[in-house]
Amino acid sequence: MKIKRFDLIVVGAGPSGLSAAIEAAKSGLKTVVFDENARPGGQLFKQIHKFFGSKEHKAKIRGFHIGEQLLKEADEAGVEVVLNATVIGLYQDHEVVVRLGEEVHHYKADAVLIATGAAENMVLFDGWTLPGVMGAGAAQTLMNLYGVKPGNRVLMLGSGNVGLVVSYQLLQAGCQVVALVDAAPKIGGYGVHAAKVARTGVPFYLSHTIKTVEGEDHVTGVTIAQVDNHFQFIEGTEKHFDVDTVCVAVGLSPMSQLMKMAGCAMEDNPKRGGQVPLLDEYGMTSVPGVFSAGDVSGIEEASSAMIEGRMAGTAIAEYLGFITKEERDRNLEALNNSLSGLRQGMFAPANRGKDIKETEEGIPISQNLLHHGFVTDEEIMRFPGVTHQDRIHPVIECTQNIPCNPCQDACHIHCIKIGDKITQLPAVDTTKTCINCGMCVASCPGQAIFLVNEDEGDGTATVTLPYEFLPLPEVGAKGKALSRSGQPLCDAEVTQVRTAPAFDSTALLTMKVPKEYAMRARFFKA
Amino acid sequence: MDELQDRSRDIGPFVAQPDDDMIVCRCEEVTKGEIRKAVHEGLYTIPEIRRFLRCGMGLCQGQTCAKLVKSIVARELKVSPAVLEPATSRSPMRPIEMHVFADEKEDDE
Amino acid sequence: MKSADVVVIGAGIIGSASAYYLAKAGYKVIVLEKADVIGDGGSSRNGGGVRQSGRDPRELPLAMYGIENLWPTLSEELGYDVEYCKKGNLRLGKTEKHLKTLQGLTDRAVAVGLDVRMIDGDEVRQINPYLSKEVIGASWCPTDGHANPLKATLAFYMAARRLGVRYYTGETVKCLKKEHGVLRYVETNDEIFAADHVVLAAGYASRAIAGTVDLDIPMVTRLVECLVTEMEPKMFEQMLGTAEADFYGHQTRHGSFVMGGSSGYELYKKDNGTPINSSTTVPCIARGICRYVPLLSDAKIVRAWAGWTDVMSDGVPVIDTVEEVPGLVLACGFSGHGFGIAPAVGAVVKNLVAGEKTVCDISGLKYDRFYAKDVVA
Repeated sequence: MKIKRFDLIVVGAGPSGLSAAIEAAKSGLKTVVFDENARPGGQLFKQIHKFFGSKEHKAKIRGFHIGEQLLKEADEAGVEVVLNATVIGLYQDHEVVVRLGEEVHHYKADAVLIATGAAENMVLFDGWTLPGVMGAGAAQTLMNLYGVKPGNRVLMLGSGNVGLVVSYQLLQAGCQVVALVDAAPKIGGYGVHAAKVARTGVPFYLSHTIKTVEGEDHVTGVTIAQVDNHFQFIEGTEKHFDVDTVCVAVGLSPMSQLMKMAGCAMEDNPKRGGQVPLLDEYGMTSVPGVFSAGDVSGIEEASSAMIEGRMAGTAIAEYLGFITKEERDRNLEALNNSLSGLRQGMFAPANRGKDIKETEEGIPISQNLLHHGFVTDEEIMRFPGVTHQDRIHPVIECTQNIPCNPCQDACHIHCIKIGDKITQLPAVDTTKTCINCGMCVASCPGQAIFLVNEDEGDGTATVTLPYEFLPLPEVGAKGKALSRSGQPLCDAEVTQVRTAPAFDSTALLTMKVPKEYAMRARFFKA
Repeated sequence: MDELQDRSRDIGPFVAQPDDDMIVCRCEEVTKGEIRKAVHEGLYTIPEIRRFLRCGMGLCQGQTCAKLVKSIVARELKVSPAVLEPATSRSPMRPIEMHVFADEKEDDE
Repeated sequence: MKSADVVVIGAGIIGSASAYYLAKAGYKVIVLEKADVIGDGGSSRNGGGVRQSGRDPRELPLAMYGIENLWPTLSEELGYDVEYCKKGNLRLGKTEKHLKTLQGLTDRAVAVGLDVRMIDGDEVRQINPYLSKEVIGASWCPTDGHANPLKATLAFYMAARRLGVRYYTGETVKCLKKEHGVLRYVETNDEIFAADHVVLAAGYASRAIAGTVDLDIPMVTRLVECLVTEMEPKMFEQMLGTAEADFYGHQTRHGSFVMGGSSGYELYKKDNGTPINSSTTVPCIARGICRYVPLLSDAKIVRAWAGWTDVMSDGVPVIDTVEEVPGLVLACGFSGHGFGIAPAVGAVVKNLVAGEKTVCDISGLKYDRFYAKDVVA
């Protein structure tokens, strides 16, 4: 049988696989990408939120738009992307067997890149097999790919970024999130992600986990209970919720089976999420010509996966003699800088598991944020983005060092300063005059920026907040202003709703509240 | 000789636990108690547990339960899960109908 | 140094069955296994056949003894269900040439007293209605059957362990050593084991180990591959094989089908260090199955596996003591059909260690058969 030969076969059309294919094809490699899904982009097309980072990391762009950009770039570079193509195995001599429709095809390539991503972890509790218990990623697929509501009343287990982001998306889809629960004593994900969930009124239960999920043939309820330092239940702390859905976001495991099958040396590395290949500095496994990039070689996130993919594509181009070592090294240096830009701050891989008490600026971290999902009214005042001014001004409730700076670029008046170090907390420069353009509010992937006029002169204040729920309230709508913890504070009236292409679907909702609530009211509920 | 090599090493008796009837491998309906018991009868490795109980041998090939089984076995053996070698990865990576795998086609070029 | 009455090298089903019957007879036994996993070689990588038909007459007595005396009560004996199913073996033919081959095998088996006969296509489909019309005849041995090799191997291990047999995994045997002309020590990568008897049941690795006391066992390796389907409704209980050898296998108690076959390159496959499937064999097996059992065309393959078998130059194992190396018992070279006879081999190995008359005739499996062919006419 004749076997079609490529320079490079990439398995997986997610962020790392596509990025690698683009880079390789640009260097002249005949490149094909196989993906078992009907749509390319891996997890990117489920990501409806704006990404963190800086411009080079495609910050403030929504994940699915990044996916579209990658696909276009791949197409322009001449990459062949084959969908509904299930890779059956990676055999000896770089042979890849692919299921296409009702038949199988054999292919070979001088190099193979495995970029198969990761799968969701599960955790055992009584009732975990009941219909209605699902991975948070599965819920996300239902909502964002298929437009199906996973349930009506949902409890989320897991406070990492996946748990936080998906909780928010569940709210956007019109579900009620009754609680966000984590056995750990502290919230694992970004504080800003937690805060945008908390301010809608979702309670956080840290040091709690699921005891039982109840129901005959589907979930009808869930009981959680507090756990001690050894993760043992503390009797008498049970809390019950009526729910029809339980989402589990307890981490991801690399789907590295193809490499194990091919005989690549593997290690069990809990820091990288489980079974991962041993890689050399260019991303090559122990089997010459077999490379790996993205989550399958260690769980991170899409932004770093894209850079890792570019690095792998560059390394493979050199490995096969399409570019020189010098070209490769030049490319890799730039990509490395970009990658280390992302791997900074409190949540950097190097800081995993560390108990960080202060920001880089020496400001004590909000403990309330870590334990309850929101910064208290007192704590918020100590951060450099929060100032009092007698005119409209941005209030930036960004309190942890994460690598992200779109707000700085968004403000043409230069009210907002982060500086060269991308993880610095944004500071508001009170000498500059805010023009209320709203760009900072819309650009913040953490939805942590508000425009506040603390005194309108008539006993009221106005608060402009990012609003990503439909239907949009109309001007004149009356409702309640909610606190950072999601508690009703006072009556509020919508005075302005702004949308603009530049806001990329984030609406700017302005509400009028009694002026004593100017620095406390952070959400509007009709 | 490392601790897992001596198959007569004393790991203590099997003690029943209240959640022993919890299903761990849902494809093959293997319970936590069955897994724990098998460890105490001398099955110290993941391949042995799989071969004897079938956990991780169903349609999903252990995608969901592999980590869970590993942690249960490790706890019984009083070792870190990281020292337990996972099961071999085998083709096909996804279930495939017999007639499809049988139908090998060439690409035209 | 650790010592025992008997050191068994190899924790496959042959080594474990030997250890079990030895321990049951009161011997203190140590089993050494190179892999980290018990029964990781051919014991866990075979089709599970427990059959007499199609066997070389030299090993047929072992097969018949086992089916008569050991398999029927093995689950009870060991305390674990080994899923033994004695519902017959059909060896299928589609052409006149196939039938001729089957007739030859049948004649030889009948000559040594086995209940096996040729049947026509209609009778084949009475026994197994799922077989295609292409099948025009078969040899039928109603006393053949199958068992679960994964469970049977581990059952022997666990039962032996319960009797006090000590197993050490991750022990690679470096050499055998004599003392005063008698085999006495087994040296591994990190330990020396002393014993009065050493049973060599290490599959292909036996050749190199035997070489350390200047013995040679002429064998090569061959890659066998099988596929496993998802659970299917119960269809049939017979073991199936074909004259063409394009597939064989059975439905397990669990419902999945475990089926092997060949691509023709089994003796020439490259070894990359992990016994993984080749890219072309499973499709060959699948094509074979689809033609014989059309209903299985839509069954989903969930897994395929491969394993190296130790193939002797004349296709049957060596089960023997060796005069030149007193204390040594060889039990290796099973050539891909050792599973079904494993319990009987275990019983015979115990006989050889004890210096007893063996429970069945193994005179055709002697070590010295490789030395001189009969030069005197």
